Amino acid sequence: MPITITAPKAVRPSYATADNASDDSGSDSSSDNGADLEGDIPMTSSSRRKEDKSYSIVTPGEVITDDPQWMRGHGTYVSASTAAIVSSVAGTITRTNKLLSVRPLRARYTPEVGDLVVGRIVEVQAKRWRVDVGGSQLASLPLSAINLPGGILRKRTETDELQIRTFFAEGDLLVAEVQQLFSDGGAVLHTRSLKYGKLRNGVFVAVSGMGGGGGVVRSRRQVWTMEAANGAGPLDVVLGVNGFVWISKHVETPEALVAETKSATTGITNLEESVSTTMYSSQNDRIGIETMREIARIRGVVTALVENGLRVDEDMLVRGYHEAVEMALLSGGGADDIYLGGERGEQLAAALTGV
Amino acid sequence: MPLDTSAYSLALLRVDGRRWNELRRIHAQIRTQAAADGSSYLEMGHTKVMCVVTGPSEPGPRRGTTGGAAAGASKAAAEVAVSVVVAGFSSVDRKKRGRGDKRNLELQSTISNALAASLHTHLFPHSVIQVSLHVLSQDGSLLAALINAATLACVDAGIPMTDYVVACTAGSTSTYAAGDESADPLLDLNHQEEQELPGLTVATLGETDRVAVLVCESRVQVGRLEGMLAVGVDGCKQVREILDRVVREKGKRMVLEGTVVKGEGLEDMDLD
Repeated sequence: MPITITAPKAVRPSYATADNASDDSGSDSSSDNGADLEGDIPMTSSSRRKEDKSYSIVTPGEVITDDPQWMRGHGTYVSASTAAIVSSVAGTITRTNKLLSVRPLRARYTPEVGDLVVGRIVEVQAKRWRVDVGGSQLASLPLSAINLPGGILRKRTETDELQIRTFFAEGDLLVAEVQQLFSDGGAVLHTRSLKYGKLRNGVFVAVSGMGGGGGVVRSRRQVWTMEAANGAGPLDVVLGVNGFVWISKHVETPEALVAETKSATTGITNLEESVSTTMYSSQNDRIGIETMREIARIRGVVTALVENGLRVDEDMLVRGYHEAVEMALLSGGGADDIYLGGERGEQLAAALTGV
Repeated sequence: MPLDTSAYSLALLRVDGRRWNELRRIHAQIRTQAAADGSSYLEMGHTKVMCVVTGPSEPGPRRGTTGGAAAGASKAAAEVAVSVVVAGFSSVDRKKRGRGDKRNLELQSTISNALAASLHTHLFPHSVIQVSLHVLSQDGSLLAALINAATLACVDAGIPMTDYVVACTAGSTSTYAAGDESADPLLDLNHQEEQELPGLTVATLGETDRVAVLVCESRVQVGRLEGMLAVGVDGCKQVREILDRVVREKGKRMVLEGTVVKGEGLEDMDLD
């Protein structure tokens, strides 16, 4: 009795062909990025790489070069017997001056200092939390690296340690920034800004992040507020560099709240308390049906983008959302039609890439 | 049903019509499960297996231990945890194999050791690489298929490794009892041959002759072993070519689709 798994669909028309085609014809970017390659030492290139060289894919165990002038970077190792630089992952070669590294086709997120990440608390310890950010190790968030209630910058006290679970408990989602990296790859996060902190009033989507293979890319803006269609009001979108995405109803940021209360001439202690009570609340606000629907639509756009191998960034997501709203109106189902899987997703991707 | 060995000597064709040095059809896919870190599907003839890799990731606090961080904190390298599930419908006789089945445990530890030797686990301290293998259909060379599928899934997951670990089986044309010293070696045994004839599973590290796994569970004269091993290692090189092509095709497709940024390549460096 044969077991069959249906063959995958035929190869889709590639959306990026136009700019690839121009790249293929002798892109000579090497001369202007400062790579100073003197000496006429020929590179060894196996016959296998020759045939694929326009794509420059290397696979594990493939010798990249045995020229000692190069330094090995991520995704490579030096073979013990021949001292050649060998690829250890399947991916594309990148080089920075004399440093050769291989960017994997896909991998888990590797944290870098300054990254904006969305994470989930998995463990509460005495003076810190352990946060799942989709990397190979859990990141840690020390108690001293969060905004403690009652004054933005104050030292932590023993009382804070005792009520550590009132700030974040297991399963809570938060947005934070990578503050520091350990040599073994572990990351330390901080939320010492009013833009960071606990997440509520929204929905979480995990897609692949900066590790490679599409998904969220590092860009100028990872967090923005967009006006949703169909009377849903403004929505917040947080694209964590680690590929975790948060879409929520827009609530007045604490800064705005502070400014408001200041103008209303309330006491300074009063307003700080009001800020801190909302900051660590796990209670959702009232969210209207329209808002929920539009949040779900944006989530559908994110998954459709990923399924069709497109990057997820502000521009793509905003355009994709408007396209999706149009598609829903045209489909006859009206605004309630938020389905964006299968052919609808492909249609969306095609519309976005202009194929 | 006894293997018709007399027919082999006449036409030099095996029961399924292959010559002694031919592999069965190998079909492989990577990235079959979108949600997994790495996944693959592999067919070697009618042996069909599926693999999903999760990780490297740090396990959360484990139940029953006090202070979850202490559970795996002292590890300097990632642990490779392999689980093999053999589907009840995978072979001709429907047999339920439990979790503690000895054959399963041996498969798991063999695969785990082979992968741990090739993967650069030292890059991921405190973490676990979880490899789940599912056997959908069995027709011989099961261990070889499992190793190949696991390697592909690890490549897909982007876990750094020294080289592919590729496996294949080799056998001999006559039984141990026949004591036939002039027996030919055979490549890639199917289920029927595996039942009747002596055979071994060999895995090598990529194109090199370095043997990563060598398992022989049947009686065979030592004189025939060298020939079998040589044929097996040669088969592994063929398998590597096939798997490598699968990975390259996928990579090429991803570059064309724009999912992955095009590499800068080294060819323009040849010029200066």
